[in-house]
Parts: sequence; C-alpha cells; structure tokens
Amino acid sequence: MSVDLEKMLRPVDVSFPPFPAKFMTLADGQEMVVRQIGRDEVPDLLPYVEPLIHVERDFYDIVAVRVYAELLAYQRYRVQDEYVLVAQIDGALAAIVNGRRVNADVGMSFHTLALRRGLRIGAHAFAAKMEYHIDIMGQKEVLVVAESPIGFRRWMIEYQLEKRFEVPHELGGVPSYALTKEIFDRARGSLVVGRRPVPERLLAKAKAGILPPSDPPKPPADALAARRAKSDATAFQHEADQFAGLGKK
Amino acid sequence: MQREIYAYKCKKCGHLHYPYRMVCRECKENGYNEFEAVPLPHKGKILTFTRVHNLPAEFDVAILQLGIVELENGLRILGQLAMEHPKIGMAVEGKVEIVRCAEYEKNYGMVFYEA
Amino acid sequence: MRDVYAIGVGITSFSRLDYPLTEIACYPALMAMKDCGIHKIDHVYVANMGASRLNRQTGLASAVVDSLSLTPAGAEAIENGPASGASAIKQGFMAVASGMNDVVMVIGAERMREVNNLDATDFVATLSHPLAEYIYGVTLPALAGMFTRLYMEKYGVTERHLAMVAVKNHANALLNPFAHLRQPITLAGILDSPEAMTNNPYVAEPLRFFDCCPVSDGGACIILACADVAKKLKKPLVRLAGVGQATDTLAVHERVSPTDLTAVKLSSQKAFRMAGREPSDVSVAELHDAFTILEIVESEEVGFFEKGAGHLALERGETQIGGRLPINTSGGLKAKGHPVGATGVGQAHEIVLQLRGEAGKRQVKNARVGFTCNFGGFGNNVVSLVFVRE
Repeated sequence: MSVDLEKMLRPVDVSFPPFPAKFMTLADGQEMVVRQIGRDEVPDLLPYVEPLIHVERDFYDIVAVRVYAELLAYQRYRVQDEYVLVAQIDGALAAIVNGRRVNADVGMSFHTLALRRGLRIGAHAFAAKMEYHIDIMGQKEVLVVAESPIGFRRWMIEYQLEKRFEVPHELGGVPSYALTKEIFDRARGSLVVGRRPVPERLLAKAKAGILPPSDPPKPPADALAARRAKSDATAFQHEADQFAGLGKK
Repeated sequence: MQREIYAYKCKKCGHLHYPYRMVCRECKENGYNEFEAVPLPHKGKILTFTRVHNLPAEFDVAILQLGIVELENGLRILGQLAMEHPKIGMAVEGKVEIVRCAEYEKNYGMVFYEA
Repeated sequence: MRDVYAIGVGITSFSRLDYPLTEIACYPALMAMKDCGIHKIDHVYVANMGASRLNRQTGLASAVVDSLSLTPAGAEAIENGPASGASAIKQGFMAVASGMNDVVMVIGAERMREVNNLDATDFVATLSHPLAEYIYGVTLPALAGMFTRLYMEKYGVTERHLAMVAVKNHANALLNPFAHLRQPITLAGILDSPEAMTNNPYVAEPLRFFDCCPVSDGGACIILACADVAKKLKKPLVRLAGVGQATDTLAVHERVSPTDLTAVKLSSQKAFRMAGREPSDVSVAELHDAFTILEIVESEEVGFFEKGAGHLALERGETQIGGRLPINTSGGLKAKGHPVGATGVGQAHEIVLQLRGEAGKRQVKNARVGFTCNFGGFGNNVVSLVFVRE
C-alpha cells in the first residue's frame, strides 16, 4: 500500500538533456567549474544554504530559504523536472542556480544564489542557467522574476527581458518576465561564457566533493553587537576593544 | 516649433559661451548677465564619446550613448548620440529632443545623428 | 603663518558600515585623540558630501561635536564634492597657521550605502553641470569614459594599462586592514581570459568594472596642531607644509584642453611652492584614482612624470611599493574605497602613517615627503597637500 502511495505522490520526470560542465577564469585568476548535480549531492549543499536563511540583508534570507525548499523538494521527489547546477572554486561552493523544465518550449528559472561576492559569480551562474534552457534544452523562452532590485537591474533592465505579465511565475505567483531565444541570441556574447570541456583535474576536484564556501555572508554572531559590528569586521572590532578603556579614568 | 539650445554672446567683447554663466569668461567685464542668446549651430564632429552601461534609476534603457561634439563655430556641447557606431571625428547633425523624463518634468537637449 | 603639524590620525574600515553617519565620524575622532593623547580640541571641521541627501542629516558637524562632547568648540561641515576631505584639511590648516586655533580636528565621514547603488550613482552625478550634462544622463563614469577615450587616442594608453593600475592597487589593499576591497585580481582574470567580459564588464566604455572605485562607507580623522603642542608629543614630527587648490570649468566639454587636468597641475604647483619642495622630492603619494585613468593622468599633471608618459612609468613598475615612487600604497580609491567626503582625510591618514614609519607591510623606506591629490567633481576643483617629516 505504502509503495503505491509514494508512486502517486512522486512526479515522473520527463527526460531532458543534462548540462555539460563548463569552467571559467574569474577576476582573481582562479578557475570556477559549473556542473549539474543529482539528488544524491543535495544533502551536501543544504548545510551551506541553511545559515544564509538568517542573514537579513540583500534578500539573502528569502532567497536562501526558498532555495533550501527547492533543493529538498528535488531530493525527495516532490517537484517535477527540476535541475540544480553548482559553481565550485577549487571544490568550494561558490553559487547554486536552479530551475525547472515546464514543457518543451518553456523553462522556469528559480534562483541564483551566489555565496561569494566581488567576483561576478552570480553573473556567470545566471548565464549558465540561461544557456541550459535555450541552447541545451532547446527551449523557446525562460520565465524569470527577481526578488532584489540588483537582480532586477542586472537581468530585466540589462537584458531587456520581455514582459509576460499574464503568466504568474511559480515563485510567489508574481508577473513573469521572459528571456526569449531572440534575446538570448542577441546577448549571446555575454550569456554564453565559459569553456568546455572542463580539464580533467578541475572536474575531478569539483566532483570529489562540495567543500564549504570560502567567504559566505555571515549572520551576526551576537544579536546586540550585530547592530554595531555586523559589517565592520576590522577597524571597529579592533578599536572598540581599545576604547573599552577610554573614559574609565 | 523647433526648439533651440542657446549659446551666450558677451555684449562687451563678443565671446561665445555654452553653457550659460553670469560673468563673461573672457573680459569678465560685461556688467554681469549682459549676454545675447544665440542659437547653437546643429552641425559638428564627434570629439569623444562613451557608451554608458550603468545608468541612474530613471532610465529604463540598458545603454546610453553620450558624446562631446565640436560644433561648426568652435563651441563644444555634450549630447546623446543616436547612431549605432559612433567614431571620433564623425560628422554629425543635432536635433533638440527629449533626453530625460523625470516624473512630470521633460528635459530637452541635443541628440546627434550621423550627418 | 605658523607651522602646522599632523599630530593624531584615526580611520574606520572603508566598507559597508551599519552604524549611523554621526558615529562613522566619531570613531576615527576617538582614535585620533587616543593617538595623540590630546582631548582638548579648539575647532572641528567635518568633511562630507551626502549627509543632507543620503542620510537626511543637515548640520552634521554640530551633531558630531555634540556626540564627541567637544562642545562648546566651534564646528562646521565642509562640502566640496569628492574633494571635501582635503578642503576640510585646508580649513584646519588655515585655522592653526593663522594663530586662531592651536588644536583643530578634521574629520571626513560618509555613509553612501544608506541608499542603493542606483541612487548613489545619481547622487554623484549631481556634481555635473545641471543643464549641460546632468539632464543628458551623465554619470561620473561617463565623463571619465569620454576623457579616457581621448587620452587613449592621444597618448597610447591602453585598457591593459588601466587594468595594471587596478591590479596594483588591489594588491596594495591586501596589506591594508582598513581597505574596502581586499580581493586580489589578476590581469588574466580581468582582461585576458575568455571570460574577462563577464568578470570585468563595461561601465562607461572604455572604462570597465575594475576601473571604477566601489561605493563605500567610512570615516577618517586627522588632528592638526601648532608647533608648541606638536613638539611636546613623543611621535615623529609630520608637518603639513604645503596646501594648494585650483578650480576649472564645471562643464567638462568647456575645458580649454580636453586631455588636460589643469586644476590638478595648478593646485599641486601651489602646494609644492608653499612647501618649498619639488615633485622629485616626493617619496610616496596618494592620488585620487576614482577611475584608474585618473591615477595615470594625475601622476603626470602633478609633475612626477612627463605628460603622456605616466602609463610607461606604471609599466616599468615605478609606482609599486618598492618602486621609485610608490603611488596609492593604501590601495587608492580603487581598492581602499571611496566614501566621498572621507577620502581626502583618508589619503592624509595614509601619508602620515608612511612618514611616521607606521605603515606596516605597506611601508615605503625612508619616506620623508608625502603628497596627496584630492580631485573634486570631474577635475573642476582640486586640492593638493604636501606633508614633510621633520
């Protein structure tokens, strides 16, 4: 009986082409590998996503909690035709992007979660995702929404995405924007970046395991001190200790 | 009605200014504010240009092309460039059009086309 | 005029700070007072550009002087765009040099990240001419981009040279615990690799992402005093020997020569003349590299290199730490950060540390004469300072 129930609750995935891994050189000279993962690697990702649920700035909290849900749903067979790509630098997790194949022509982009700042990793990850839908799956368009103003500026305005407001996006039912094959072809120069095939040793290192992100956004250590020291990691802390003695004469 | 952009000619020494200022830059003696408004010529050459990718919030275009144009009478003006591939030295002709819409205010300025 | 000495310095990290603007101004002041051990201040100048627009705070200096409990000392805010910092130092210098005050505190503070990046870009764009530039959608990077294109045409500066400035300054910032961007970058990553266009996209062609300084919060403080006060302290004596300022047309297209930064040249000449020094005497300099092109051009205009040859000196490594004339040992605006009003004071902070021998891993050997150039608007208001070690 229980086996039949699970069969009813579990969607049957349509077969679609896998994402061929690619690699790119970042601004600091390091190489990043973007590859698709399967359900078996999701438990390795969850512990790196969870702390971001408590980082209440730049929309990390809402993106992280939704990504966590999407990853878990993927792993436990409760979502139809989802894919997950990860970006790794020397094995360390740098970004997670995910989405869904809605049908042969339409893709649904979920999230782009970058775990390192300053190296345009989000831009590389987003581009890989669009390439997957349009070039590799051969779809006609991808539906996209943004949770943050930066995302909106970077994707909707920069790529001049088409309004598809009559279509509610699966992320919150909000009006969608579409990145069509036409827009993709016009922006090919900035959307198809990175190289294939990935050199053997790079790919092996990435596949060996997903290591902790090297410099992720951190939640405050202490709720009270956080108001003061949340983002001033060096001078304030260092000098604050010195000030502790001032005024005690 | 064709709008114009004006240069300001000092009534004392005849020096032309664009944009407006209160005291003549050349003779400094025109009794403050004594200028004659003279429409700027529309033809010139591109001196330098840029394609701006990061725009302030109100602009909903992705990229803006701006350039400094040297006009026929030697004055220079900054304007938006409407041609697809600007080049230093390109001959251009300007039209006065809306360059920025902020809330209810429309700003007019020079937009240059390839001549 | 009396001699004026820099007796105390303090700085916050230049990054993204979560405490209010007034506190950003106060912390470095506390550090500077601790540095010199002097807590009796005659007057306070606060350099700042955005308090009223970004932080909804007017009369900033009054708020700061109260928070520091330095009342009833006099206090003013100084606004000169990105040159506010050095302008405030100039005011402090005049107060001490004239004999009006003995100990003056100069603070620079800015909290730009109270607003998002688009609003910050627009705010800085208001430095341009309202009718001839701003309405066209001009941003500071746009003005710098047009200038850069002309400079490349005329003198053969290339995107590679610009990238070299960024790489050098990022490397210097790794040695500076207070810098905003402590992220190494390589020429391969930002220019040569096939992915360079994504890593380093155009902002205002030909300037790219890594050619433009970040948007930063931060504060810095310098305390200036007369000789009587300075000589009682047990620190190496650093004298503010030369101050110079010059202005130029507001609209960039009205400059007499479109590839010259005349206000930089004139202000530095005045500062060197007052200090009785030559550009060739300078051991270390902080130049205003809001855009990488500016470091190159300013190094020429202030007289370190021939006009049009600054990029060649950069190629030869002369401006690295350990080179003939290290420029921007702190990481410059590019990597140390650019909290607009604080920058000029931050530059002075680095020079004072260098001349005292307190710059740690960034230390330039035998630094005796230091120079700063604080560039307001797009070169229409520039303040230069010369410091000497006595």
